[in-house]
Amino acid sequence: MAISAATKAATDALAVNRAPTSVNAQEVHRWLQSFTWDFDKNRTKYPTKYKMANDTKEQFKLIAKEYARMESVKDERQFGSLQDVLTRVDAGNKVHPKWNETMKIISNFLEVGEYNAIAATGMLWDSATSPEQKNGYLAQTLDEIRHTNQCGYVNYYFTKHGQDAAGHNDARRTRTIGPLWKGMKRVFSDGFISGDAVECSINLQLVGEACFTNPLIVAVTEWAAANGDEITPTVFLSIETDELRHMANGYQTVVSIANDEAASKYLNTDLNNAFWTQQKYFTPVLGMAFEYGSHFKVEPWVKTWNRWVYEDWGGIWIGRLGKYGVESPASLRDAKKDAYWAHHDLFLLAYALWPTGFFRLTLPTKEEMDWFEENYPGWYDHYGVIYEEWRARGCEDPNSGFIPLMWFIENNHPIYIDRVSQVPFCPSLCKGASTLRVHEYNGKKNTFSDDWGERMWLSEPERYECQNMFEQYAGRELSEVIAELHGVRSDGKTLIAQPHTDKDGKMWTLDDIKALNCVFSDPVDAL
Amino acid sequence: MAIQIKTGQRGLTDPELQQVIQDAVPDEPLETNRKMNYFVKPRGRRLSEYEILCCYAQPTPDWIPGGLDWGDWTQKFHGGRPSWGNETTEMKSTDWHKHRDPAKRWHALYVKDKAEEWRYTQRFLKQFSGDGQIRTMDPVWRDEVLNDYLGAFCFNEYGLFNSHSSASRDCLGDTLRMSIAMIGLDKVDNAQMIQLERTFIAKLVPGFPESTDEPKKEWTQGAIYKGARETVEDIWQATYDWNEILWAGHQVHDAIFGQFVRREFFLRLSSYYGDSLTPFFINQMQLYHSQTKGITDDMFFYCLADDAEFGDYNRRLMRAWTDKWLPRTINALKDFMGIFAKIPEIDHVTTPDAIEAALTRVFDDWTEDYADKIGYKADTTAMVKTVMSGLK
Repeated sequence: MAISAATKAATDALAVNRAPTSVNAQEVHRWLQSFTWDFDKNRTKYPTKYKMANDTKEQFKLIAKEYARMESVKDERQFGSLQDVLTRVDAGNKVHPKWNETMKIISNFLEVGEYNAIAATGMLWDSATSPEQKNGYLAQTLDEIRHTNQCGYVNYYFTKHGQDAAGHNDARRTRTIGPLWKGMKRVFSDGFISGDAVECSINLQLVGEACFTNPLIVAVTEWAAANGDEITPTVFLSIETDELRHMANGYQTVVSIANDEAASKYLNTDLNNAFWTQQKYFTPVLGMAFEYGSHFKVEPWVKTWNRWVYEDWGGIWIGRLGKYGVESPASLRDAKKDAYWAHHDLFLLAYALWPTGFFRLTLPTKEEMDWFEENYPGWYDHYGVIYEEWRARGCEDPNSGFIPLMWFIENNHPIYIDRVSQVPFCPSLCKGASTLRVHEYNGKKNTFSDDWGERMWLSEPERYECQNMFEQYAGRELSEVIAELHGVRSDGKTLIAQPHTDKDGKMWTLDDIKALNCVFSDPVDAL
Repeated sequence: MAIQIKTGQRGLTDPELQQVIQDAVPDEPLETNRKMNYFVKPRGRRLSEYEILCCYAQPTPDWIPGGLDWGDWTQKFHGGRPSWGNETTEMKSTDWHKHRDPAKRWHALYVKDKAEEWRYTQRFLKQFSGDGQIRTMDPVWRDEVLNDYLGAFCFNEYGLFNSHSSASRDCLGDTLRMSIAMIGLDKVDNAQMIQLERTFIAKLVPGFPESTDEPKKEWTQGAIYKGARETVEDIWQATYDWNEILWAGHQVHDAIFGQFVRREFFLRLSSYYGDSLTPFFINQMQLYHSQTKGITDDMFFYCLADDAEFGDYNRRLMRAWTDKWLPRTINALKDFMGIFAKIPEIDHVTTPDAIEAALTRVFDDWTEDYADKIGYKADTTAMVKTVMSGLK
């Protein structure tokens, strides 16, 4: 290239042009869309039935260094609060014990979602063709590393400064024992990373983040604060500032496929499946964590659910996407029914299986029973009487020789696990909508609890073959399983899990469990 | 007192609520082990904060070596392919969770460093422009070399950046995944810094073309980057094994082609053409290169080449991959030699004696830092000779 006369003149003019100047992030970002080039092999490694448009824009327009500056500022505030003022006020010991236990689950399970979202957005970064869209997903990839570290930091903080470190200090190992784990993996792990890339984006960004992070990351901070926990709001609200960008990424995913013919054929089905997948776990588990894992109550879960899921997401957020042909999921109506009783049904089972947890659970107290009855009329007659019977039989006391799982067997209430969602259910006892369906496939019996999941399985059974805990542990004695999967405290004998948080109550040991001679069996065998 | 709180009531600050909480809190902590992740084997003498926050975040079952979970995946790809699987790489490991970033950077430390670099970059640019340092830059170097050829190198970095997308999706360990995403971000940062430098020069030199059109034409149609472009395209989109992507990109192509272009061409020559701006950016790229080298050395040499069970096999595979990618990298460098015909000649700087010395430095470094560690026989003299044959 020859040096132009204009450039020569400009060079000469530099003798007098010495104004200090710099370049801002937007001045670099505006060229980003031109960074790619066409070549024969340029295709994604993760095929999708949709076609993502080449000219899709992102909303946040960050470059790598500006991203780092923004996140670093947020980190300074967050870690400053945690390491300085919250430590000086001994915040870890100002938390109600029930909530200390709940955060063992919430923080670690959210961490799994954040961690898998690193891989999910890596896949989307690969699938998108537009450099700006890739850039939006890339920033999210880094955010998800941040959130993984932040969730880990909550468990780390409670381990170091809290009242019961067991479970916080080894959640990444002991979380695999109990009945809540596989369902969590379905929604927060495999649902984000295994499938059509756009389907995964819908699961992660359009439903997981735009719908359920509001109750999971925002509403949880109100429950935490009510119960003396200022650690969780400090971290989770900082996480939520990034989630806005992720919701925008989900929106842009839909924008990028809006003109593709496939969108009109498949998008609403994928959205419906994703919504049902996510709600099937989160609706009962979050409601259970809030209402049964706290002492002080903020509001009934059904109200929180209606506000965030039904009105805000199902109405407003999906409404905004209406111009792209997106409709509220058909399963939203059924989910709304689940929001009333499903978490109560799940707590019965979670408490019955308490020795397989990595946290302590607590039976509702008298005043809590009143609160439940007031907010969920009919609660006492169905659930309250059972808890009173369990308490009367000494379920909290290791000398009683009784765990509620025995009550289920005595009363012929078999517990099944839904193959698709991996959520346990007891059709003969539940007050919610679950009903038992059984399909045999490749010599294996599969149980299901609802139409939507059953339909997903019937379409693609090869995607949902995962063993459940009853199949895995069948024939094994309970204390043996707990010991093998490290469910004991540092003394080597006391269980991490306990059926109470009473500071004067006696703690259960492996020997106490062994004395019960409780051997796992798979209830499906009897069908 | 009532368990239903009023709006805004906080358990930490409300005396009545806090009294209820204190009545329930145990008098002594229930557990004495206050080390999170105490079961993790530390790389150093004690578990670092990096290891505490990153290790075993990944929920892989134990049939992926190192995993702590059991059983199958709860949802698979259409057709039944697993979420993560051993078959995504030909490399074998007894523990995919073994890798550690030698700099122990979890997210907060990583962005803190980069944020400081950004702030310093902006201060530096103001100083540079205020000081009028652009006046000393040779116009041919500025308008041809920086505009066209540094501009075109942006696409090399951008393509390599994209090669990390599938690797960050498919890899089998948590510390691996975080490292791969971070070294990927460093690559796009390099590409963005190149465009930033061109935008900056355009602000100082009216008429300097800020647009990426000419550099892209050079990258996609020119002869100088032809070999590099074809190699980068294949690393990015034609390679599916995530370890091979990282090996080809970092241990071969970037360690040879990238090092020559950045260090031995732009960094070494810029001062001879009165350019004190480019070294500022190239040195940031070199910092990222050295940090990445620490990471990939740990992945490939400490973890895989020295794996107690699969070390020999892995080294053999690394040699096979080197056989595949080294000739392409040498060819890319040979094409790049054409650039010396485009710049004003400076005796013993851009003449063949200096080029040969520069190439020898790069190949000697590569032999010592990469080839020797896997027992790969590399003939530096022959490689230099092949590349030199590209001089016009």
